[in-house]
Amino acid sequence: MSTGRGIGGGIGGGIDGLGLDDDDRFPRPLPFADTDVGLAPASATPNPAKVGSASVRIEGVVKRHGATTVLHGVDLQIAPGEFFVLLGPSGSGKTTTLRILAGLEAVSAGRVMMDGTDVTTREPGARDVAMVFQSYALYPHMTVAQNIAFPLRMVGTPREQVARAVESAAARVGIGHLLERTPGQLSGGQQQRVALARAIVRQPRLFLLDEPLSNLDAKLRLETRLELRRLQRSLGVTTVYVTHDQEEAMTLADRIAVFMDGRIVQVGTPRQIFARPLSVDVAAFIGTPPMNLLAGAWEGHAVTVGGSTVAVAAETRTVRDVVVGIRPHDLRLADGGLRARVEGVEELGDSAIVDLVVDERLVKLKTDRPPVLREGEPVFVAFAPEDAHLFDAESGARIA
Amino acid sequence: MTTSAAPPRAARAIALYAIAGAGLAVWTFPVVWGLLTSFKTERDVLAYPPVWIFTPTLANYRDVLFGSASIVPNLFSSLVVATLATALTLVFAIPAAYAMARLRFPAKKTTGFYVLATQMLPPVGLIIPYYLVLQKIGGLDTYGGLVVIYLTFSLPFAIWLLVSYFEDVPVEMEEAALLDRAGRVRALWYVILPQVKGGIAVTTIFVFLNAWNEFMFAVVLGGNRVRPVTVAMFNFISVEQTQWARLAAGAMLAMAPVILLGLFAQRHIVKGLTVGAVKGGGRRA
Repeated sequence: MSTGRGIGGGIGGGIDGLGLDDDDRFPRPLPFADTDVGLAPASATPNPAKVGSASVRIEGVVKRHGATTVLHGVDLQIAPGEFFVLLGPSGSGKTTTLRILAGLEAVSAGRVMMDGTDVTTREPGARDVAMVFQSYALYPHMTVAQNIAFPLRMVGTPREQVARAVESAAARVGIGHLLERTPGQLSGGQQQRVALARAIVRQPRLFLLDEPLSNLDAKLRLETRLELRRLQRSLGVTTVYVTHDQEEAMTLADRIAVFMDGRIVQVGTPRQIFARPLSVDVAAFIGTPPMNLLAGAWEGHAVTVGGSTVAVAAETRTVRDVVVGIRPHDLRLADGGLRARVEGVEELGDSAIVDLVVDERLVKLKTDRPPVLREGEPVFVAFAPEDAHLFDAESGARIA
Repeated sequence: MTTSAAPPRAARAIALYAIAGAGLAVWTFPVVWGLLTSFKTERDVLAYPPVWIFTPTLANYRDVLFGSASIVPNLFSSLVVATLATALTLVFAIPAAYAMARLRFPAKKTTGFYVLATQMLPPVGLIIPYYLVLQKIGGLDTYGGLVVIYLTFSLPFAIWLLVSYFEDVPVEMEEAALLDRAGRVRALWYVILPQVKGGIAVTTIFVFLNAWNEFMFAVVLGGNRVRPVTVAMFNFISVEQTQWARLAAGAMLAMAPVILLGLFAQRHIVKGLTVGAVKGGGRRA
């Protein structure tokens, strides 16, 4: 699976790590760019000047729907040109946050700032943001060309200029040949491109994308994902992207904000979030398969899980109840360590996942070299001391 | 397909055609009878047994169009009343339906109920109050008076019909238009209305037909100046005699615009009915 390795690499970490270097913004053209679903090569259209790409700041935003609170004070800071992903399970408040940025939802408390200006009460049309909806929201009675032209026509852009901009935007997303069709005559992938073209045609200072890939089939989703990334890099426009798919978040994002129950629980680069989840919930949400979590007792340099004691890097002076987290690919079969029983082996072709039971909990081990194991066979699993993630048993917060 | 499946299918088709044919016959018989009558002389009309072979005459049409009892002014009256009622209904119903479908405002549910409740009142119970009110304000026998009265019936019906069409348009589409800097009015005009035009067509037709066919209010609240064609038909029925042939010719003329409109808008009506928006809404149609 993708871990986002290398993608967030050159970007300064932390919430205030806003520096992007140019290498990260303009990666080399991707090899699949000219496949059948591919975009026009980057050289076909010149890069527009990246003028007015917005910085975004959300301060203490609360959203209530009647008695229920959807967002409990969300704070965020997004740098100009950044590809920022809001990740979380459904109902976690990520889409609400996006809609608040768009101006489609009013906040119950808090402020939304763009480029230092308070836009909290500004109408959607006055924010200079473009949005791609999950359903694409194309205008069914207009042709593709009219759809893309709509945001320009609404501000009275001269006809010739509109035509040029429409053509250029359509070419950028590889739908130049579909301009005279209506949305009903297009495939899902093509509709998605029209929605993208409609968003980029006006060169907004902020892009909002609400699960734009969720209605595509798996193969197309994978291809479009990388094209999206490339498109965003070449346009250099600040982008906020909502998804519940952690793999999508990992591959696309400069930084990710993980949402849980209406709160942001962690912000960081994909690498940081994968390597150092700040809570049990984030640990369980990120990674395919997700992190194994076992209850144990931590004492000195070791934890005891189900009667077996294994070494960890961190040290404690008292005995503490903890949750030990180990990534499936950090676990290995060994001669000693945690006692386990084999439940089965899932072959994935280039790798395999071994299902094990440790301390009456299902644990997954990912390995490149599929072992020969019988169901019910007793084995030992081990991990390097520095690969153990320790979380407080009660609060779920990361300890080490 | 297999041959064994063919006979039941053929039988089904025959049964369907038979039922449809019977329905059509029931519907067309009076129309055909009226059409034939309109070309007969009064003598042929009263002949018993009825004559099917006769020398057609255009005299009845000449009489009802250009004779002393011409219904042309009445057709004009009907046209004015129905067109005005329809246009005004749409002018008010479209924004109202949009608001009911989309906006949040106080007492929205209650408002929706009252809109529907006006449809539950029997018209005959209102006719005397209406008469008295119009008499007070000098609205009897005026186009304005009759049109306003028609509005009280057609407006709730039209709003109720249109709301479901507006609700069918995805909210995101409007939100996209708002983000595309259209503003609410232009979003309505450029994005929403084109998508509910089928509903608007259906509403237009129903409202127009209701107004065109209306008789009771027209006969009581109209008069010598404003006398729609439905009322004028009664000129051909008097105590001494009923002029069946002229009545039939007049009826044919009165029906013509309605039938033309129906044919013209058939596609929309069928679509509108299948949207499920009408659910027995053709009550007064």
